[in-house]
Amino acid sequence: MRKMILAIIVVFSTISCNSVKEYDKQYINDPDMKLSARSSERYETTFQVYREAASGANGGKTGGGCGCN
Amino acid sequence: MKSKLLIALGLISSLAFSQEKDSTDVVYKKRVLEGIEVDFLASYYKQDGIHSSVSGGMGSEKLTDLASNITIAMPLNDDDVLTVDAGLSAYTSASSSNINPFNATGASGGDDDDDDDDDRAPATGPYGTPWQASSGASAQDVLGAVMVNYSHSSDNRNFIWNADVAFSNEYDYTSIGFGGGMTKLFNDKNSEISLKVNVYLDQWRPIYSTELHEYAKYGTTFQSNGFFSGVTILDQNGNATTSYLPSDFTTWKSTNRNSYSASFGFSQVATKKMQFSLFFDILQQEGMLSTPYHRIYFADKANYYIGQAQYIPDYESTQNKGVYQLADDIERLPNTRFKIPVGARLNYYLNERLAVRTYYRYYWDDWGITSHTASIELPIKLSDKFTVFPTYRYYTQGNSKYFAPYETHLSTEKYYTSDYDLSTFNANQYGFGLNYTDIFTNAKIWKFGLKNIDFRFNHYDRNDGLNANIVTVGVKFVEQ
Repeated sequence: MRKMILAIIVVFSTISCNSVKEYDKQYINDPDMKLSARSSERYETTFQVYREAASGANGGKTGGGCGCN
Repeated sequence: MKSKLLIALGLISSLAFSQEKDSTDVVYKKRVLEGIEVDFLASYYKQDGIHSSVSGGMGSEKLTDLASNITIAMPLNDDDVLTVDAGLSAYTSASSSNINPFNATGASGGDDDDDDDDDRAPATGPYGTPWQASSGASAQDVLGAVMVNYSHSSDNRNFIWNADVAFSNEYDYTSIGFGGGMTKLFNDKNSEISLKVNVYLDQWRPIYSTELHEYAKYGTTFQSNGFFSGVTILDQNGNATTSYLPSDFTTWKSTNRNSYSASFGFSQVATKKMQFSLFFDILQQEGMLSTPYHRIYFADKANYYIGQAQYIPDYESTQNKGVYQLADDIERLPNTRFKIPVGARLNYYLNERLAVRTYYRYYWDDWGITSHTASIELPIKLSDKFTVFPTYRYYTQGNSKYFAPYETHLSTEKYYTSDYDLSTFNANQYGFGLNYTDIFTNAKIWKFGLKNIDFRFNHYDRNDGLNANIVTVGVKFVEQ
């Protein structure tokens, strides 16, 4: 699994990234295309932090601020 | 693991410097935030399970939580935004009620430490069961939290920095946090790197289970004082005994709990219809990382109970209506923990009706836990105002090396927990969301127009018996 993750990172790093002009970003700027969790997911992220050992890398608490894992 | 992360960070950084040169000429400076935005969010959460950590990995995990939040973002000028986020969360829990599992004469009922009530002889004798909530004050609590964030954007909007402070408090826990971050956009805002750091300086005010609280208070004479005065303790055969002595238990001397984290992110617009992001955190926690009211029962120690002897043979089943096992100790976990989660998002715009949002996270920590998280969401535009999005999330984790089920740990171990949140399990979460958006904000309250309404429902199933449902409603208003 670690090798796969590293491979994905290498592949994405070598993608030729031609610039998409602002006037071509009508799809990218759609609210559903935002690269973050929805604000309404906040409480789901909170209970997942409490009920699961993992936390972080999702915009929620990485730890601290609560007496949880 | 760490060397591979460094290689990944180096590759991402080299990509950052291989892009087309930015234009630094400011042609037009759009206001970062046009007007005040107000978000209301509320949720109702309900769960149940059979592995209560308060009862040593055995018992009801029924819990309900009602939470609400308001977020107000205020533009201070063209470049700066101040955001205030405040919320309350009120829960009732069968599990935490069993910190004091007996009737209201129990010593750790959350009242003051006046022992006058403890000397009162109970009418029928105390009893409890891990399968039902008790009447103790620890059955419910309210968490209050507030966060203030200030952000500043450069004139060309390619550099943003922010600083924040946070405070939260509940009956037995207080948290003070602060942090800051930087975000750099380049390549015509097609690429973005970010760095955030946060520090939480937290403080426990430990609550211990009734029997251990009394032992800590009175020492070896605890069976003649306080709660235990006049109370019969039973052995495994249901016979009265005075042999119960939780000598392994000591109270926590240092109750600080500090967390230090750094978060790195990179996002890229790949094509006109696809963008992705990669991110990872580095987190170090120190201090009191155990939960002081999580009971532990040792396999190499005799069992003792308070309550009705006829239920002892049925202790591990819901047929147990009236007996509770006394703890041998509380969970003991190391006073440091190092965590590294690594995540990625990829969103693809299929057509004007359908997009695909995906997320993956790999998690590792030095307590022996590894996990994988994967989720997918399909926003489907029913019209220009309504979007429905089915969601699915899968989670799997391996147990901490310090975890063992109920009545499995040995008293010779240094670290131990029976908290099933640190066990091996898989979880499926599925649900849907509904969004209403009115970009013209035709509906108004005072000078604020209704921008959108969100509704979400999710069902969560763990294969160890815990399940939950959560409903969330969100409303956003923007200043006209």
